[in-house]
Formats: sequence, structure tokens, C-alpha cells
Amino acid sequence: MNKLKTISRTDDYVVLSRESRPVPDPGVWGMLRTTVVAIPIGFITVFKHLFRKSVTIEYPFKKRPMFPRYRGLHYLERYEDGTERCVCCGLCAAACPADAIYMEPMENENGERLAKVYEINMIRCIFCGFCEEACPEEAIFLGQEYEFATDSRDGFIYNKEKLLVTHPRPENTLKKMWRKVRRFF
Amino acid sequence: MAEHKLLLAHTDDPQHKTVAGYVANGGYRAWRKVLTSMTRDEVITEVKASGLRGRGGAGFPTGLKWSFVPKDSPKPRYLVCNADESEPGTCKDRVLLECDPQAVIEGMAIAAFSIGSHLAFNYIRGEFDYPIEVFEKAVEDAYDNGHLGKNIYGTGYDLDVVTHTGGGAYICGEETALLQSLAGHRGMSQMKPPFPAVEGLYGCPTVVNNVETLAVVPHLINNGGEWYKTFGTEKSAGTKLFSLTGHINSPGNYELEMGTSLRYLIEEMGGGIPEGRKIKAIIPGGASCPFMTADQIDTPLDYEAIADAGSMLGSGACIILDERTDIVWATYKLIKFFKHESCGKCTPCREGTKWLTQLVERILNGEGEESDIDKIDNICHNILGRTICPLGDAAAMPVISVIQRFRQDFVDRIKAKDVLPMEQFSFN
Amino acid sequence: MSDTATKDQKTTPAVEMVSLTIDGRPISVKKGATVLDACRQENIPVPTFCWHPKLRSVGACRMCYVEIEKFPKLMVSCATEAMNDMVVLTDSEKCREGRKAIIEFILLDHPLDCPTCDKGGECDLQDNAFEYGLSDDTRFAFRKARKIRDKNSTFDDLQIGPEMVRNQNRCILCYKCVRANEEAFGEYDIGAYQRGHNTEIDAAPGGQVASLYSGNLVEICPVGALTSSDWRYKIRVWNTQTVPSIDPYHADGANLTLWKDATKVHRATSRMNDDTDDGWISDIARYGYQIATSERRIKAPLVNKNGAMVEVSWEEALGVISRRFKEVKESQGAPCLAGVVSPNLDLKTLHAFNKLFRGALGSNNVDYRSDYSNLPTDADSTYGFMASRSFSIDAVASSDVIFVVGSNLIREHPNVHLKTRRAIFEKLSWLYTANPIVTKSADCSTDEMIYNLGTDEVFLNGVTLSLIQQGLADKEVDTGKIETLLIPNTLEKCAETCGVSVERINECAKRLANSKSPTLIAGELVSNSIARENIAKSFYNVALLLGIVQGKRGQAAVLAKAANSKGAEALGLFPEISATQTATLKNQFQSFPELAGANWDAMLSGAQGEDIKAMLIFGANPVQTGADYNHIKKSLESLDFLVVADLKETPTTALADVVLPLSSFAEYDGSFTNLEGRTQDFCAGMKRIGASLPGYEALNRIAQSLGFSLYADLSSLQDEVSELLDSYNAPERKHFLMESHFQAPPAPQENSLPLFAGDALHHFGHWTEMCHSLLEFNPEAALEISADLASRLDIQTGDSVRVLCDRGDKGNKGEKLILKALVSDILEGDTLLASHNFAAKPVNCFTSRDSRVSYVRIEKIEKQ
Repeated sequence: MNKLKTISRTDDYVVLSRESRPVPDPGVWGMLRTTVVAIPIGFITVFKHLFRKSVTIEYPFKKRPMFPRYRGLHYLERYEDGTERCVCCGLCAAACPADAIYMEPMENENGERLAKVYEINMIRCIFCGFCEEACPEEAIFLGQEYEFATDSRDGFIYNKEKLLVTHPRPENTLKKMWRKVRRFF
Repeated sequence: MAEHKLLLAHTDDPQHKTVAGYVANGGYRAWRKVLTSMTRDEVITEVKASGLRGRGGAGFPTGLKWSFVPKDSPKPRYLVCNADESEPGTCKDRVLLECDPQAVIEGMAIAAFSIGSHLAFNYIRGEFDYPIEVFEKAVEDAYDNGHLGKNIYGTGYDLDVVTHTGGGAYICGEETALLQSLAGHRGMSQMKPPFPAVEGLYGCPTVVNNVETLAVVPHLINNGGEWYKTFGTEKSAGTKLFSLTGHINSPGNYELEMGTSLRYLIEEMGGGIPEGRKIKAIIPGGASCPFMTADQIDTPLDYEAIADAGSMLGSGACIILDERTDIVWATYKLIKFFKHESCGKCTPCREGTKWLTQLVERILNGEGEESDIDKIDNICHNILGRTICPLGDAAAMPVISVIQRFRQDFVDRIKAKDVLPMEQFSFN
Repeated sequence: MSDTATKDQKTTPAVEMVSLTIDGRPISVKKGATVLDACRQENIPVPTFCWHPKLRSVGACRMCYVEIEKFPKLMVSCATEAMNDMVVLTDSEKCREGRKAIIEFILLDHPLDCPTCDKGGECDLQDNAFEYGLSDDTRFAFRKARKIRDKNSTFDDLQIGPEMVRNQNRCILCYKCVRANEEAFGEYDIGAYQRGHNTEIDAAPGGQVASLYSGNLVEICPVGALTSSDWRYKIRVWNTQTVPSIDPYHADGANLTLWKDATKVHRATSRMNDDTDDGWISDIARYGYQIATSERRIKAPLVNKNGAMVEVSWEEALGVISRRFKEVKESQGAPCLAGVVSPNLDLKTLHAFNKLFRGALGSNNVDYRSDYSNLPTDADSTYGFMASRSFSIDAVASSDVIFVVGSNLIREHPNVHLKTRRAIFEKLSWLYTANPIVTKSADCSTDEMIYNLGTDEVFLNGVTLSLIQQGLADKEVDTGKIETLLIPNTLEKCAETCGVSVERINECAKRLANSKSPTLIAGELVSNSIARENIAKSFYNVALLLGIVQGKRGQAAVLAKAANSKGAEALGLFPEISATQTATLKNQFQSFPELAGANWDAMLSGAQGEDIKAMLIFGANPVQTGADYNHIKKSLESLDFLVVADLKETPTTALADVVLPLSSFAEYDGSFTNLEGRTQDFCAGMKRIGASLPGYEALNRIAQSLGFSLYADLSSLQDEVSELLDSYNAPERKHFLMESHFQAPPAPQENSLPLFAGDALHHFGHWTEMCHSLLEFNPEAALEISADLASRLDIQTGDSVRVLCDRGDKGNKGEKLILKALVSDILEGDTLLASHNFAAKPVNCFTSRDSRVSYVRIEKIEKQ
């Protein structure tokens, strides 16, 4: 479109400039085309689309499910019996490129290691998923949640209570029954 | 080349244990001769000339070992007799301790003199209740009759013999571990160099010899070193005690000239395999030697020939396995023994024997996999030559030989579906 | 044809070198070095697990394989001596295969504990497996675990010592802990049990791993098998940074590394310094950093308002101090002000203290020796002379005869004790100890001579006489008047009085005389005694006759006790300083008080009289650790005004009008001068707790509130300190035998037992009570009793014992305390040791300032 024109050249560098192409004068037919012809075409286009299925969905009343590997808000998993999986090893914090995770380990009555403090600063977090990859205990995952806006910076510091999944998991009874039946066969 | 009773000449004579009986049969002439008329160097020369090699398994020339002791060291020297006979299949030393303890004492005394030691230890395996009793009584007897103690035969030489019982570890048959155990530490092998002849018990020059080696020494002094070379082969002089065990008609200890064929030992002395069965495998020198097959039965029994045949003469404990033997089971028995007896100091032996045990057990139970056989071979090569003491080699070599010679047995076992469970073989 | 000029220049024989080729590089090393030493010298990486620079190589892990030409097998470089013309390859295919195999073997049964293991991030196995291990999946198809013998279960974490947790599953059986414990420390409380694959590292049956050096075993473990309870689940090591530091307690000057993050210090480990510590530090140095993070720290200045201590701001506190000091100075004169400083504070603080008193306030009453009594009053004391002799800790390890008198060496100088062990085991040196009590440091001595209590100088006189009698004394020393100089004056009488036989004294003297580089050490039992001068004179005599003080050979010194005692001496923190010191100080301070100063004894008696009215006690706690609690308490109570600065509230701060918070050694930069005279720097690891200040800053503020300024900036203060240290010369004197007359101490009453008040094994002074890890070892004030005495009185460890003392004079009437008994396996006879490290139990109520030995009676308290 706009051609580059060389102004001067030396052995070391070249100076270029942009020159715009001259625009032709529309003339009377041109003016007519832009008004009488184009405007109704526009209205007709809009009218056509009134009766077509829209590509957008009515968020927030309808939400499109995210793809399975979507990296949303983190959650800390548990074992079947409710024990937290996280042993506070520090690998997720070490892997995090944004330094978003802070943790302090502790020992519980059984002599097991877990996190006394586990915080993720969602403002720092870039949701890359390195923490999920680094975790040796399959404890942290990035889930599907993306609606966590809040109105204070402090609200973005997620501690362990906020991140842990609930135990027991609320699950659809029908689904449970169907799984049992499937397992049997 | 046949049976030649030198050390076992008087095993039927119960009086031979006592000093009186021993002297009547010609004993303590050599000790007297050495003390009154020979120097240390002369004794060592005599033993060197005889070509006597260590009978404990390594086969190291005895005279050479004695000459390694530095002559000018101000530290006291010690002679240790290694009676910690734990090599599976070996039972020759107990016979010598039970039936001919005086010869052992005399051999210890002459050896002690030759290195300038005034304190000799006999490290006897703790489980040898009866031999210990006999030996201690024999020592007392020797003291009473003036063959040990202060100013022996009026020559001014003092010698004390102390009996020390082991706590039950195969590893304490290895000389450095033996010296550690004798000093009261954990019986764990030490790096060599420094060799015990320079820095052994309590950091002092020490010589460790097998019971059988020491029992030969009085004969060398009595008859001269060259005499010993008149029987046996050129490189392996003299006689050797062979403990014949396994599937054989007459198991027992037999003394043969070096160079006698295996066939002679098995058929003439051992009376052949019961019910005329065929031999599957022969272990010529105790559990740490590679297996030999039946076609090698004509191999002469000396250090060189057996080594050429791919095995080791070792301690001379011949174990015969007949055609009914499950080789996988035999391997499992062996490797389990070595895993149990490993001292645990160096990584390859400690971890490798355990892994091998688990693998062979798995094959034995019928859960083995194709890749297991090569894995076993690879692990054995990772242990061989990489350990502080020869126990690692002793564990690896038989397993390597088994994989080499009896691979089909392993393959069949892995492929077989109807496998006998392990409990059938009661060996725990 | 030798050149005579060069021959004269060569005074030491050239060390024989060996040249070999490693990876194509020609290298030359000392003869006797191993191939591994050669590789390390050239920074060629060879992985190891069981090798340690200070332990004998055992070749247990087999990781350091190298390939050497003409050797058929792979050789372990840690145990192969480097020979001439060896060609070594450290990175050949065979080596790499060998190392891969070893890593595979080790990882077979190593649990997958890395996420929960404290060693993660600093683990040798992690690093070596990453570098040299297999890169694909494991071939091991079985359940991974090191199982308990005969059981199908793995090991649990087991607490095998107060601060040591063992996880046997992770152990790779390199035996470093067992070897270090036996070889370096001479302790046998950890050992290997069972055999082969089932080998377990465990505490000795029925015991715990609780020696003074047990923390080193945790540090030396290459994997997470031995971990420290203090560090357990604390922080990941990659989230920490390190700063160098120095042990702030003992005078050995062990080097430490503090590991810290942004907020606080998390642990201390050793920083190998072959001159002082060889890489081993005592547990007190290791866990002593906890004074920085303890909750008991004072966070703000306190002022005594109507009997209660109220937290105030620095301005208010300084206002009170300046007002009261000015009052005293104007009404009664500057000599009524006195200052006591702790020798555990750094050099800048000590110098600022000196400057405050001598420069600003105009009083010569400064002293750092508040733990002692009956102090020398002239600058020329023999004790001062012997205390200022040069001493090298590393030279102890190469001495051929070491003579220790009046010192429980392991408790006073843990690192010097380890050096004596090194001398004995590496150089086959002789160790002679002479003490009134049995000590652990005499375990490997040639002869442990126990002399009767209170006869220290008699024993030393006996050695002197023995040297003269055997004709072994230095020929240049005039021994003519020996009959009158010493009382008792014959060897037999000395032997009889002190209880050591003539033969033993003769043997000891002979060995000393025939040695090439003897070391003579006198310790706290001498320094703490009221007859210190007399004993020092006898000690001097021995050193003189051996030619040591003249500089002919060896070294002899009375060792300083605290981390900066030598520094305090060099900076002149006591009244009777030398003329050179006075001159330098006058120069620096621009003014210098005329009147001679009062030392600690004089301060105490002056306080009870009219001479001392106000005192500043800086970092010290004489009410708890000084001799004769009642006397000190009464003196301090008689003062008009007392300011105490310390880290925590102590019995001394309880008597104060104003208490100032001090920062600990981990909170500011400073330096200590150890007993050798070596100045070493330490760095801050964390911000100052609360409103606490480093000593020098607090002193400057006090000075500023009085209208002076101690320093413009820290570098000028440091320059003044350096000037003093550089110009400090140990006193010189003409050498001749000194007089030493023995006076027998009064006989004790019936049933009384001698008592020594000193440090518990895992404590030092009054600060370590703040360290929770050290409290795990010694939680409370204990009375150490010998097994023999305990069985006679039917006392067991943990029983309560009432200790009573009633001498009808000087106020020690009817003192009693209840202490827990601790049956010691080292002590013998009737001597008792009480720990003075705990504020709740002032055991110094039994010690006195005018008798050499304190006597008490003990009663067992029956359990209700």
C-alpha cells in the first residue's frame, strides 16, 4: 500500500520514509455509491442477522464450558480419605516463574509433613501451570474457574482454606450409581 | 595321582590329639628343630621352596606371604590362624581341629617364629563347639608339656596361643574383617593396601593363614621343602583336603595329591552318584566358585587346571549336583547366603546381592520375566571387581557361570506355567 | 657442586612431590596424597558419598571410581595413593558406567521421599544422581524400601537424640556419622547395628546421641537419614541465603555460616576453618543462634517505675540514664561511676564502652571479668602474662606433648579438645592432664592426674621440682634459690600434698622435657580460682624451665574463656592496663582519667561502701554467673543507680533501674578476637529485634545523651579498634623463677562435698537458656554426681536433691537450693558440678570469693 522509499544510503545505514499512495478523487458516482448504495446494504445485512443464530452467548446467564486443560483458578486436592495431598515440598514455589506461591511447612500429630501456610497471590500468578507440572504429589491443579474478580488486592491472596477442595466431594448420586453399575460390568 | 594321606594320616587315632600321642607319632620334632637350629629366614626359605600355597581359598604362596612382614618394624607381630570355616561345602578344617589339633598348634608355632611373633591367635568359628573344646584342651596340653609358653625348650623364645571364637559371620573369614573382629570392632572388610602383613591387627604386622596351610608346615620342616614338591603338580605342590558333599555315595573329607582328576575323587573316593544318576553340575571349590559341568569331570584338581576350566579350586569343597537338581533353586540358595552374609560396607555387594536375591526368588516363584536373565548378568558384572573384599566376587561369579552354562533352565522356568511354589523346598 | 647460598636459604626440607596425569593434565601432588586429593586440587569433579576431608577413607560407597591405566579394575580414587607416572581418567566410558551402576544400587531401596525430606536441595544423592545417574526409568521392579529386619514394614522416623531424627529408609550406609563420631569426637553413642542390607544406624542401646558434637553428625550425613529436629520442616534450603559468622560463646572462634531468609536466621552450620575448628563445631555454637529468635528477648528499654518494669522509648530511658549519671558525676565525682562489660560482646562495642567511661565520663572503673573474683591489681601480674602468651590452636594438633592443667577442656574449648585428639591419633602425641576432677577430655590421655582440691600450684611445683631434680630444666634458668621460692619445696612433699605420686610427676616432666613442640594449657579451673596468681606463677615456672616462655619451643598459655576475652584484653577493658595501652587510649580519647580504676572486686566492695554509686552492666549477668551471689546482689542493691543492658531479663536486670535491649551477634556486623588473638568478622543475619541496638550504638546514644559522641561513623570506630589491636603487644618481662607459696585451704566440715559451679555440657553463660534446642539436652539446672556417690546416697538421674551450705561467715548462711540430680559417667569421687546457666537456680549462692573450694551438703528428697 504505502511504499517505502529510500531517501539516502550510506555504507552503514539506510534512511527510509513512507510515502502514501495518492488517493483518487471519488467523483459524483463515488459519492452516490457511498451513500445511496452502501447504507441500505448495511441495513439489509443487519436485518439478515436478526434471524440468524448468534455466535455469542448470553454471558453471565449462560456460560460456555472451558476445554479440559484450561488453566483457571488453582485447587489443592485431597486423597480419598480426606488427607491433604500437599506435603509442602516447595517445588511449586520454586517452579513458579512469577514468585506467586509462599508456603511454610509444619508437622502434624502423625509426623506427616504438610503446609502450615500456603498462599498463592493470584495477581502475581500468570496461570502458566508450571506448579501443576512440578508437583510430585499431584496436589495442585489449575481448574476451570475464571470468575474470581474482587475489589481489593488482599482478596487475591488465596490461602490454603480457600484453595483446598472440600471433603467429601459433593457428587451427583445418580453419577455415583451409574459408576458402580459400570464397574460391575 | 591318587589319595595321599599326609594330614589325615592319624585321624583314627584318638590319642593323637594329646601331646603324648602326637609326640609318639613324630610330632613336635619340627618345632624343636626350628627353635634350636634354624633362623627365621631359613624357615621362610624352606616354606618358599616347598611351593605351599594357601589352602583357605586364595592359593597365595605361603612363604611369600610370610616374607612380606617387615623385618625392622618395632611393632609386635601377630600370627592368626583362620579357622572361621564358613564357605558352604567346606568341612575340612574342623577335621583338622578335632583330630589333629597338635599339628595345627605346631604349624602356628613355626609360622609365628618365622615372622617373629610371640602371640598367635586362632580365630575359630563360634559354631564349632566341639572343635573349640578339643583345640583349647590341646593348647593347654601343649603348655603343660612345655611346647608353648615362656622360654620354650630353654631357647628363650616365648609364644602364647589364644583361642578366639567368632560371632557367626562368613565375612570374618576374610582376613581384614577377621582382624577387625579379633580386635573387637565390627567385622567389616578394610581396603587393601595397607596389607595385613604391614598393618594388620592393631596396626601391627600380621599374617593370617588357613588351618590346613599351617598343619602342613611341620611336615615341610621335617622332610624339607623340596620333598613337598615330589607329589602334586609343578605349580600346585603337595596334597589338598577335599570335602566331597552333595549328591554322592560317600561324602567326606579326602586327601588327594594335587593334580588328581575330579573323576578319581568322585568315582573312586566318593563312590559315584547314588543310583547311578548323571552329574548336572560340579562346584569344585566351595560356593564362591563358578559351576562346572559334567563334561569337565576329567579336569585335574589343581589351581591352574581348574582355573583354565573356568572355575576356581578355592577351598577344595566339591559339591556335586545331580541331574534332578533345580539349578534355579541352587542359585537362589547361594545368592541368599551371600546376601545374608554381606557385611554391608560397600554399595555393590550390599545392594546388588539383595537385588539378585529378589530377582532369582521371583524367577523361582514363577513370576520371572524374559529380561530378568540379562538383568541378573548385568548386575553381576556391576558387582564383580567393584567391591572391597572378594565376597562380592564370590557372589557374582557363580551366578554368572550359572547363567552362562544353564541358561536354558532359567528360560524354561520363566516360561513354565505350572511352577512349584517355593515352600516345597524347605530351606529356611 | 652445591651452592652454599641456596643451602642456607633452605631451612625446611622440600616436600616430596609425585607427578601423574589426570585426564591428560600433568599434575603434581605431595607424596602420600590420594588420587582423589589430586583431582580435588585441580578442581576435577569426582563424586563421592563416604569421603570427608577430615576422616580416614574407607572406600565404602564406591562412587569415586576412576580408571587408571595398567590397573584392570576400576579403582576408588579416595583410597588409591597417587604414584609417579600414573595415567588417570576420570570421565571415561567405564567410569561413567561404573558410577551409573553405583547410583542405581543406592537408589534401589532409597524411598521417594524428596518432597518431604529436609535434605532436599542440599542432598549429595540428589546432586550425584542427577549428574551421574541413569536417565531412563528404573529397572528395579520391586517394592522400594529398606525394611526392618524380619518385618515387612519400613522404618519410621525415630528420635535418636534430643535434636536428631533418624530415618533409616534413606540411609545409604556411608558410615560417615559412625566414623566421625569415633575418629573425630571419640564418642560412641551412635553405631551401626545388624549386618549387610539390614544394617541400622542407631543410638547405643539404651542411650541417646547427645554428645557435645552431635550436631556435626547431622551436618555430615549426605542424605536425609539424620536430620536435626530444629531444622525439621522449617524452610527449604533454596529459599535461604548464607552469611558468615563466628561462634559468640567459646574463645575458640569456630567459624559458622548462618542460613537466613528475609525475616530471621533459621540455622547455623560450620564453615570449615582449619586454623580453628577443622569443620567441627560444638552444639552450643550450632544452636546458639536461637538467642536471636527467642521470645524471651527484651524488645524495648525498660524503666523501673515503682517496682515494676515498664517498657519505654529509648528517649525516655536515655533521659533517665543521663540525668542520673550526671547527678552522680557532679555530686560525687566521676570515680563513683563504674562499668562492667561482657567479654562475649564484639570489639566495637568493647571499645565504645571503654571510650564512654574513660573518654566521656572520666572514670577508670571498667572491667570485663565479672565472672571472676580476687582479680589481680597490677598490670604486671604473672597471670596476665601467661594469659597473654601467643597460642595457636592448629599448633596443638601438631604438638608432640600436650599438658593440660586445671581445665575441663571439652566444656571450655570444644575445638581445642578436638585438636588434642587429632594430635594423639595422627601424630601419636602424648596427653597429660592434671585436674582436681575427672574430665572427658582426659579420655585418651597418657596419664590423667587428679590432684587434691585446692592444690593446683603444689602439683605444678612438683613438676618444677621434678624437672630440676632430673636435670631436665633449661640450662639458662637460675634454679639456685628454688628451696625458698617454692613451698612445699621437695618433690616428695609436693606429691604427698597434692596426691599424685612422684613416679607419675617424674614421667610427665621427663616427657615434657624431651618433647620438641610441647603445648601447655591452663584453663578455667585456674582462672576461676582465687589463688589464680599463685597457680599462674607455678605454671610460669614450669613453662620457663621447659624453655617455652623464652620462645625456644612450643607454646604455653592460660586460655581465655569467652569469645572476645582476648579482644577485651587487647582493647584494655580493665583498670590496670599497660602503659602502651594507656598512651594509645589517651591519644584516641583525647582525655584520660587520672585516678586509678577499681576492678570488679573493688567495685563490689565500693558499692557496699561509699565509693561506687552508679554502675552500667553491659551484657554481663554477674548475679547469676559471678561468685558469691549474696555479695554481688547486696552490692548491686546498694548502688544508687544501676543500668543493665542485656538480651533478655536476667537476675541482674531485675535489680536494675533501667534495662536496655541489646542486639545479638546475629543482628549486626562485628568481630571477635579469639584466644589466639585472631580477629574474625561476623555478619548480620537479620534485622534487630524490636528496638534493640548493637552495643556500640546503644553506648553512643548514652554518650550523646550526656553530651559526648563516641564516634562519627562506624569506620572511624573500627579504625580505632584496629589501631589498638595492632599496637597491642603481649607484655614482656625478664625471665626468672617465681615464688609460689602454698597455703592449705581450711579443712571442710563433716559430710560436706566440694562443689564447682560452671557450665552444663550444652550451655555457656546465661544466654543459652534462650535456645530451645540446647534446652532439649539440658533443660534445667542439674547437679552432676559421680556414679559412685549416687549409689552410696541412692540417687538416680532425675531425683530432686536439696543442696545446703552453711558457713557461718560472710552471709552464706543457710543457703539451699533444690536441683535435679544427673548421674555422670565421667565424674569420680565426691565432687559435684552444678550448672549456673539457669536463672531460676542461682547455684552461685554456694560459691565464695575467699575460699578456694566451696563445700555443700546434699540430701536426697524422697519422692512423695
